[in-house]
Amino acid sequence: MRSLNLHLKVLITLLVTLGVLITAYQIFILGIPVTEDETDDLWNIDAKVEFQANPREPVKVQMFVPPLNQDYVSLNESFISNNYGVSVNRVDGNRRVTWSARRASGKQTLYYRLVLTKRYSGEQAKPKGPIFRDSIPVEGAEKIAAEALLAPIRQHSADVETFIGETIKRVNNANDDNVKLLMAGDASTPNKARIIELLLSIAHVPMERVHTIRLIGEQPQSPELWLRSFNGDKWLYFNPETGEQGMPADRLMWWIGDDPLVAVEGGKQAQVSFTLNNSEMNAIRLAKLTDENTDVDFLEYSLYGLPLSTQQTYQIMIMIPIGVLVILVLRNLIGIQTLGTFTPVLIALAFRETQLGFGIVLFTLITALGLSLRSYLEHLKLQMLPRLSVVLTFVVVLIAVISLLSHKLGLERGLSVALFPMVILTMTIERLSITWEERGGGHAMKVGVGTIIAASLAHVLMNVPELTYFVFTFPAVLLVLVGFMLAMGRYRGYRLTELFRFKAFLKD
Amino acid sequence: MFGLIKTWKALEAKGIMGINRRNADYVLKYNKRSLYPIVDDKIITKQRAIDAGIHVPELYGIIETEKEIDKLNEIIGEHNDFVIKPAQGAGGDGITVIADRFEGRYKTVSGKIVTHEELEHQISSILTGLYSLGGHRDRALIEYRVTPDQIFKSISYEGVPDIRIIVLMGYPVMAMLRLPTRQSNGKANLHQGAIGVGVDLATGITLRGTWLNNKIVKHPDTNNAVDGVQLPNWDGFMKLAAGCYELCGLGYIGVDMVLDQDKGPLILELNARPGLNIQIANDCGLVHRTHAVEARLEELKKKGVKDSVEERVRFSQQLFGHVHPAES
Repeated sequence: MRSLNLHLKVLITLLVTLGVLITAYQIFILGIPVTEDETDDLWNIDAKVEFQANPREPVKVQMFVPPLNQDYVSLNESFISNNYGVSVNRVDGNRRVTWSARRASGKQTLYYRLVLTKRYSGEQAKPKGPIFRDSIPVEGAEKIAAEALLAPIRQHSADVETFIGETIKRVNNANDDNVKLLMAGDASTPNKARIIELLLSIAHVPMERVHTIRLIGEQPQSPELWLRSFNGDKWLYFNPETGEQGMPADRLMWWIGDDPLVAVEGGKQAQVSFTLNNSEMNAIRLAKLTDENTDVDFLEYSLYGLPLSTQQTYQIMIMIPIGVLVILVLRNLIGIQTLGTFTPVLIALAFRETQLGFGIVLFTLITALGLSLRSYLEHLKLQMLPRLSVVLTFVVVLIAVISLLSHKLGLERGLSVALFPMVILTMTIERLSITWEERGGGHAMKVGVGTIIAASLAHVLMNVPELTYFVFTFPAVLLVLVGFMLAMGRYRGYRLTELFRFKAFLKD
Repeated sequence: MFGLIKTWKALEAKGIMGINRRNADYVLKYNKRSLYPIVDDKIITKQRAIDAGIHVPELYGIIETEKEIDKLNEIIGEHNDFVIKPAQGAGGDGITVIADRFEGRYKTVSGKIVTHEELEHQISSILTGLYSLGGHRDRALIEYRVTPDQIFKSISYEGVPDIRIIVLMGYPVMAMLRLPTRQSNGKANLHQGAIGVGVDLATGITLRGTWLNNKIVKHPDTNNAVDGVQLPNWDGFMKLAAGCYELCGLGYIGVDMVLDQDKGPLILELNARPGLNIQIANDCGLVHRTHAVEARLEELKKKGVKDSVEERVRFSQQLFGHVHPAES
């Protein structure tokens, strides 16, 4: 007996640990959301390209689009254009879309739409970049100004990162005469970037221009220029205006390099405007969508990998153990008597079709009528099989009549009864009548009410959407459940009803 | 909530056994599933008992097929009173008790006259499984009709009172006298409204009783006190019950016996899942007693010996007997 107990304890511990570990892995390592309401931002970015086409000339528009090899995952990408051929190619880590048309005239509008989210990205590739460059040749006064600027920068910096930061800070100091000279009266960001590049090149520090879009809704914006440099290990991003290092999380890299965003051949006055808006989406659905676009396959082996219709069946099926648990607790801990062991679970499943309140009414009605038929058949002394067949047929007729009546009365709810499992009802009637004969009407009533209570409770619990989602997403929870059930298998304490049953002992 | 915990503690202290404990520690542990048919089928029980020399109501005959119904007359023979029972019936269903003959017909205990054809139809119903659990085909047995001893007249209402003794591994643990009431329709089943009266294991003197989960002192129908009645031949009952362990091999059983006015103690049937209300009847928990028996078994196992039936009865009587009813 003792070894059996140890065996059981080990088994329970094993199952519970396994269940908890798997669930924890899913939640913390794979990052699967715990509730269904958990949502993620979904960004909808529209880039509108407008230009004036030259008459009788072929048109070719080239525009950079995000390279999508970063933290973002594209869910959908579309190029909307009339009469234009579209091709996308990759150049030097950039992606570029080319719209082309043999002939176009007047004002042209092209759209590029990107839907993306920041989640579930795969492993990042190891970044690579240049760490040396040649100096940009510079002459005369500018050379002297540059070197004058560089001397303190060198003094105040320790490595590439601080060097660049210091450089940007100096260049942004508009009162410095050297800076004034280099800027030549143009304080725009591109010009600042040009001077920073010049200074850095003298120190042989390579630098790239990064054009970013800020993910912020309902605000017209144009690409913002950032600078980046490779320190041999990773890319360092700098804001050329402030010298602040590190790109904020809400920036999306659109393209890299010195080229303008859009280049038009056979047209003029090209203009690009961005519109962004964000919507929220259920995290798991989002994960499924991104799954199609990336190589993330953690959902592959979950129940979400099943076809949608099968998933719905499994969502019901996987809740059955919860219903069984309810019955277990009600019977062994509380001590409510039910018909059979799992009949209440089956009835609870049947309530899915009819809704709870209506289901209880129907169940009671049909069972009561069936019982009276059964007691009438009792007088005829029929054998079991014919008797059951008669009851089943009667139940079917009864259900048909109820459906017909409620339909005539305009109660559409009554039609749902057609799917109310009849065999369950028949078996319930049979068992209830046996109980009635063997243990009396009072007991049968008690058992019937107990069954309804257990079924209702199981039904309510089995239909909590949060619970369904949780169990369906983390099926390993069932292992914990099994652990609990095993433990219940050797529960020897009193049932709640026994405390009342044996009350007589405490009277003296 | 706090009150419930207090109740729990108090029950635990008294050693009251709950259903979960009965199932986990006794029924599942001591009763092998494969032996259940011995107690579920009254014919097998009876044959085993006869083989072991244990007293049971005499078996007049068994009817297994429709064809054998023709032999009914032959089986009844010269007996004026007899009982027809389904072998696997539950709750006393399908039992016909014939008390006398009346001009070629039969008279039941309640005075109803039935014809021979009606009896044959009744047996046919039994065979088709009308009274057996789950509707399996069944067998009918025809046996001696027990006449309860006169001693019960004063404290019983109709029906046949029986004596239930809980036996753990051959050691009688607790005993109860079950008295039918008007409410139980002459049946001796506690949850149908029969009275359970505790019995002192050592002396066979009745204690106070339980009716529908309450403690009582008087029989609700006859209004006579149920306690203080000396059951005759008590040691005979004890030995009979203790011997049932060897008979069926089940370690935790309820043995139902009757006291026939001519033949003395007889075994009626065995129950592999005896109810717990016997505790209320005796105003005493089962757990302390079963633990004592288990300790004894452990001790004997170390010595490598086994108690005989007499030794087991003596052990139980010394340890569990001579209870002094609480003064009221």
